[in-house]
Amino acid sequence: MTLDTRADSRSLEALIADAARGDHACFAEVYERTHRHLFGVAVRILGQGQAAEDVLQEAYVSIWKSAGSYRSEVGGQTIQAMTWLIAIVRNKALDALRARTRRRENQLPESGDVDEDDVQSVGNPAPSAMHLLEQASQALHIDGCMSALDGSYRQSLALAYYQGLSHTEVAAQMGAPLGSVKAWIRRGLEKLKGCLAAQGVVA
Amino acid sequence: MRYVQPELLEHLASSYVLGTLTGGARRRFERLQRDRADVRVLVTQWESRLGQLAVSVPVHQPSPRVWAAIAARTQPARPQRAAQAKAGRLGWLKPAGFGFGGLAAGVMVATVLFVTAPGLFMSSDQIAMRTGEKLPQSYVGLLTDAQGNGKLLVSSLRHGRTMTVKVIGPITPPAGGTLVLWAVPASGPAFALGPVPTSGSAVSMLPDTSEKLLSKVGKLVVTLETDAAPAAPSGPVVFSGNCAKLW
Repeated sequence: MTLDTRADSRSLEALIADAARGDHACFAEVYERTHRHLFGVAVRILGQGQAAEDVLQEAYVSIWKSAGSYRSEVGGQTIQAMTWLIAIVRNKALDALRARTRRRENQLPESGDVDEDDVQSVGNPAPSAMHLLEQASQALHIDGCMSALDGSYRQSLALAYYQGLSHTEVAAQMGAPLGSVKAWIRRGLEKLKGCLAAQGVVA
Repeated sequence: MRYVQPELLEHLASSYVLGTLTGGARRRFERLQRDRADVRVLVTQWESRLGQLAVSVPVHQPSPRVWAAIAARTQPARPQRAAQAKAGRLGWLKPAGFGFGGLAAGVMVATVLFVTAPGLFMSSDQIAMRTGEKLPQSYVGLLTDAQGNGKLLVSSLRHGRTMTVKVIGPITPPAGGTLVLWAVPASGPAFALGPVPTSGSAVSMLPDTSEKLLSKVGKLVVTLETDAAPAAPSGPVVFSGNCAKLW
């Protein structure tokens, strides 16, 4: 009972530090606080289903094993625990997505054959990723700064970030040349860096 | 390919975190990250930036099966599991089918080899480090308060460009000002090495390799400064200690 109250008032950073020392109750609390958000990140990239759940499972096992490698400060900058957790889930989701794409490329194309995995990505059209970028920009107070970027720059960045699409896939989805998409995304990232720094969010 | 250009590294780090760096380039960058602390810092910074964008991603509830599976793989062995393990202790000796028993036997053979003939896997320096006969070549400082209580452990690999500051004794965060770590060379002015965390540990980039910066430094001090980026120490010395070379 007292344990729960103690865990409730503790920061995510402190819970991860205790998980690193082998405290499984603290790890369970980390899961309780973060799994819905992290599952959202995986679902966004892989679609709702077994693949996203597998990624979530692998991610938390990895978080448990590598909790000791979390650093709250790197290069003089504070690293939020959530940042660290999101990066782990996103990397695993991207790996799973690329593996799925490779598997599909190796299969013989059969006309009219719809892969179950496709259903969700078809259900996530481009405006949705763009909408998420707009919402995030507003929440971070960088919408004014980011709106200086041309719409196609922002859209390509949004597709790459929220859908986990590769350069080629973004180009195909936007019907734009690959070279342009690469340049748009690079420019979009540079702008994002500048906007966040100006807002004092991340250096 | 040599990864020295800062713009190239910045571009690779941002593409890696975004996910647009794919295939062989992604794997090469992952290897580079393992070897270079400065590259890890860049990646962490991009993870911080792009992680902010996840704020708008809608939350989803996974099936309860997910936690059950995670718990099963992470919880320390329970008594009943220990009993099961005991009952099947000799199972791996059975040659038939191998399966898990084969895997376990393989791991054991590898472990035995690793312990008895580590030279197959590691260089002699690595073996010496692993067995505790030797520490990696580095600069190390132990800083104490005026009463001699250990407060900070500062370390940097000999040719590394990062410095780790680990808090080893409780530090009360200063009410005003910031704690700054300084290197004091035998001759010449003191120069700032970086900020000091008040808990946990912090990794910061050095402007040059520690070999070049610290080879003539005998002393490290932490002062309480009002200016966030002071050019020279002006505040009171809070902790101090010697800087030693481990060769």
